[in-house]
Amino acid sequence: MIVIDAASPTPPYEQLRAQLARQIQDRSLAVGTRLPTVRRLAADLGLAVNTVGRAYRELEEAGLIETRGRAGSFVTAAGDQALEQAHRAARDYATIIARSGIDPAEAIRIVQAALGQPATP
Amino acid sequence: MRQTEHSETRQWLDQHGLTDTEPTPLLATRLAVRRRARLAGDVLLAAFLIGAALTHTLSRLTDAAYSWLPLPLLTALVVGLLVAQWLLRQWVRRVDRRAGAQLPRRVAHPVEFGWSAVLGRPYATFTVAAYTGALALAVSVLPVSDPVLRAGAAVVLIGLVGAGAGIVMQLRQMLTSPAVAEDEASLTAGVIMRVEDARALVTPSLVWSLPAIFLYGESLGWWNAVAIGLVLAGVVAFGLIQTRATAVGATARQAMIVR
Repeated sequence: MIVIDAASPTPPYEQLRAQLARQIQDRSLAVGTRLPTVRRLAADLGLAVNTVGRAYRELEEAGLIETRGRAGSFVTAAGDQALEQAHRAARDYATIIARSGIDPAEAIRIVQAALGQPATP
Repeated sequence: MRQTEHSETRQWLDQHGLTDTEPTPLLATRLAVRRRARLAGDVLLAAFLIGAALTHTLSRLTDAAYSWLPLPLLTALVVGLLVAQWLLRQWVRRVDRRAGAQLPRRVAHPVEFGWSAVLGRPYATFTVAAYTGALALAVSVLPVSDPVLRAGAAVVLIGLVGAGAGIVMQLRQMLTSPAVAEDEASLTAGVIMRVEDARALVTPSLVWSLPAIFLYGESLGWWNAVAIGLVLAGVVAFGLIQTRATAVGATARQAMIVR
């Protein structure tokens, strides 16, 4: 649910941006969810089209949503950017290990040491 | 808010499981305009059926060799019905917009509702099947030699095409109408109203009436049996959908769950 309070000192576009960002980050809005069109949300919330457009633009710049032309705006996986980076690094690491012929158990011990954790027997 | 409006709103909220929600002037206004629009819509439909039946009957009485002149008149009746229905929807929208403009706090759902979430697949399938059945019957009657029957079939075709276009147009209007809500309860109530409006819109009263009224000629034939069969099958199917389909309140809550 998005709430816009006209009496709040926070500008409406910021209220909208902050609420959408929070819902994307806490997964209330799942990756791939299609957001209402700018015009539609503006009508629903009684806001100017430009106000909603600005909030969407900022969310897009933050990588939280992406606009696919006429198909609309969708929630991206960017809310989980850190996790995605970790997966990518792990894949790269696995490739290096496989290429160098290091034993997988040894590879895991290396990671554990890098993380500062005690190695598992 | 008047006492009658308060009690009507309270009753509507209780019916849809919103027992904790207090009747507000916003809800009372929105429900009242819908009640009036629905009543006016029923009157319009009745007027259309009477007008179409009168045109059909008068043309039979005045000319033994059935004239095709009433067709433009019937087309005008269909257009009139569509315009009037559109105006009614616009009236509801205008009242909603005016009520929404006075809210200091506006609430919306971050996900757009599609037709399947609002109308539901069983209702959509039933509506398409009812229209297809009635259209197929009217088209099958066209090659029959009886001119009165042929003209009746043309009336049914015009009426069905017009009513079908009206449903598509009004459903689109309903789905794109802005949400008018000040809190979670009124947002839920708004979605319930949307589901109710959509279900009321697809009730096939015109589809059942047109073939039964217009598909008769000099003598009874298979078409009369099929027309009555369509009505009976339609009533049974519609009854089953209404009893088995998810309740309006539950459908609205399902639609509001973010996927």
